Amino acid sequence: MSRKPYQPSMPADWWLKHPAYRFYMLREATVLPLLFFIGSLLYGLYCLSQGEASWLVWLSWLQQPWVMALNGLALVASLFHAFTFFRLFPQVMPLRVGSRTLPAGWMIAGQWFGVLLVFLALWWLLGAYHVIN
Amino acid sequence: MSLTKRFQRSDEPIWWSLFSAGGVCVAMLIPALIVLLVFGPSLGLLSPDTLSYQRISTLLYHPLGLMFIGAVIILPLFHAMHRIHHGLHDLQWAHSALAKWLCYGSALLLSFLALSLWLLGR
Amino acid sequence: MKQPETKPSDMQHLSVAIQRYRPEQDDTPVWQSYQVPYDDSTSVLDALHWIKEHQDSSLTYRWSCRMAICGSCGVMVDGTPKLGCKTFLRDYPQGLKVAALANFPIEKDLVVDMSRFLQHLTTIKPYLIGEPSLVQAGSASAGSDQPSSAALQPQLQSPEQVKRYQQFANCINCGLCYSACPQFGLNPEFLGPAAIALAHRYNLDSRDQGKAERQPALNSKDGVWSCTFVGFCSTVCPKGVDPAAAINQGKIVSTMDGVIQWFSPKQLDATPQEPTS
Repeated sequence: MSRKPYQPSMPADWWLKHPAYRFYMLREATVLPLLFFIGSLLYGLYCLSQGEASWLVWLSWLQQPWVMALNGLALVASLFHAFTFFRLFPQVMPLRVGSRTLPAGWMIAGQWFGVLLVFLALWWLLGAYHVIN
Repeated sequence: MSLTKRFQRSDEPIWWSLFSAGGVCVAMLIPALIVLLVFGPSLGLLSPDTLSYQRISTLLYHPLGLMFIGAVIILPLFHAMHRIHHGLHDLQWAHSALAKWLCYGSALLLSFLALSLWLLGR
Repeated sequence: MKQPETKPSDMQHLSVAIQRYRPEQDDTPVWQSYQVPYDDSTSVLDALHWIKEHQDSSLTYRWSCRMAICGSCGVMVDGTPKLGCKTFLRDYPQGLKVAALANFPIEKDLVVDMSRFLQHLTTIKPYLIGEPSLVQAGSASAGSDQPSSAALQPQLQSPEQVKRYQQFANCINCGLCYSACPQFGLNPEFLGPAAIALAHRYNLDSRDQGKAERQPALNSKDGVWSCTFVGFCSTVCPKGVDPAAAINQGKIVSTMDGVIQWFSPKQLDATPQEPTS
């Protein structure tokens, strides 16, 4: 008897078919709102180069409701990206201290602590630095 | 036979390294930057004069400002375009050399734009 | 339809839908439903046995050990790759759907053709490749009365050295990770999770010298670089191997390998060094 294997193919909507795939695609999609924020920064860089009046235009543009909404989405996306990215780090680069591997939980907590430090540093740079000078 | 197959080294290490570095920057810096820049004024985290033209030009056009541009614009751009490139393949929309060059080309072009704007403004 | 000889009337029944593909009559797989008696200890494999014995002797599936060692009974249960012997009906009170492992050609019913995976496994040379001088000494001594002392030296490993690769050595070649991997589904040339995890396992082994032979395949587009870290391979692995970690550690190895290649003199890779003998 001859063989007649059935050759399956990936359906176009394969990524909707399993929670694990939906999670993956959501993670990959975090770059879409991120691109909007990068665009906002590029626009700001352009405005800054054009002088003070134009810089003020950018600052008020940034406060428009739809811009705030999209950048709010970018914030949520970047936090979700951070959540997934920090979890992968101990898998990709397990840190070894002597003969032991550092527990993944410590590495993840350390990275979130880094986010907090960056926030405080940037806040200081943008706000407190001004008070000191 | 697969045993005698000739393998060609992929150029992915370049794009993956940029993607990973960008991923670290997005996770570490972007949340803080969005909170402060976008929501800082209305939340009262920053007073309006801290984002003044004088102060921000002094800060950003400092040589270290270039590193900042690299960390919040250029590397995140390569991060985003790498994911879009692979996403197009995953969705089976486009998997060609053209799609690849459009993705990484636009990241390169916008990075060049950011650098030019920085130099222009100094 | 044949009546079951002993009707387990005191047992609860569960609806088990099975994807059938009978190459003599079907062009595409079709679903068939069965009512299966079960208790707390009934595995999906037990259910398949019951159906084959009592309802449909033509049902075809692979199995052997019934204890998650042989890796033969991999199937999709409600769309997730699982070992039939390690999955229990009690966890699916609403009934369940059993299909052949995804991303492989289906030969019949729940039996798939795994040859693509086995080919990829062969490509990465999943065995210890020894120090050339030791191997030569060993083969030279085979014909003579006096074995070379170097070849007889035991290759000792410290517990730390074993720890480095042990996790990746637990693979049973069941193929669940290939069914979980959309990148393998999209591009069957991708070496895939298990093969790359095993390549990593031997590359991490202190007794192994074969990295240079494995690296070209891993460095290629269809090697580690087809992976986008979906991570589902590690979720479904019944032995806790974590192939996603192996592949992505492999990306760092491949990147370093590329950097070294870039800075090394060009003629070295054009003319490989012949052993002087």
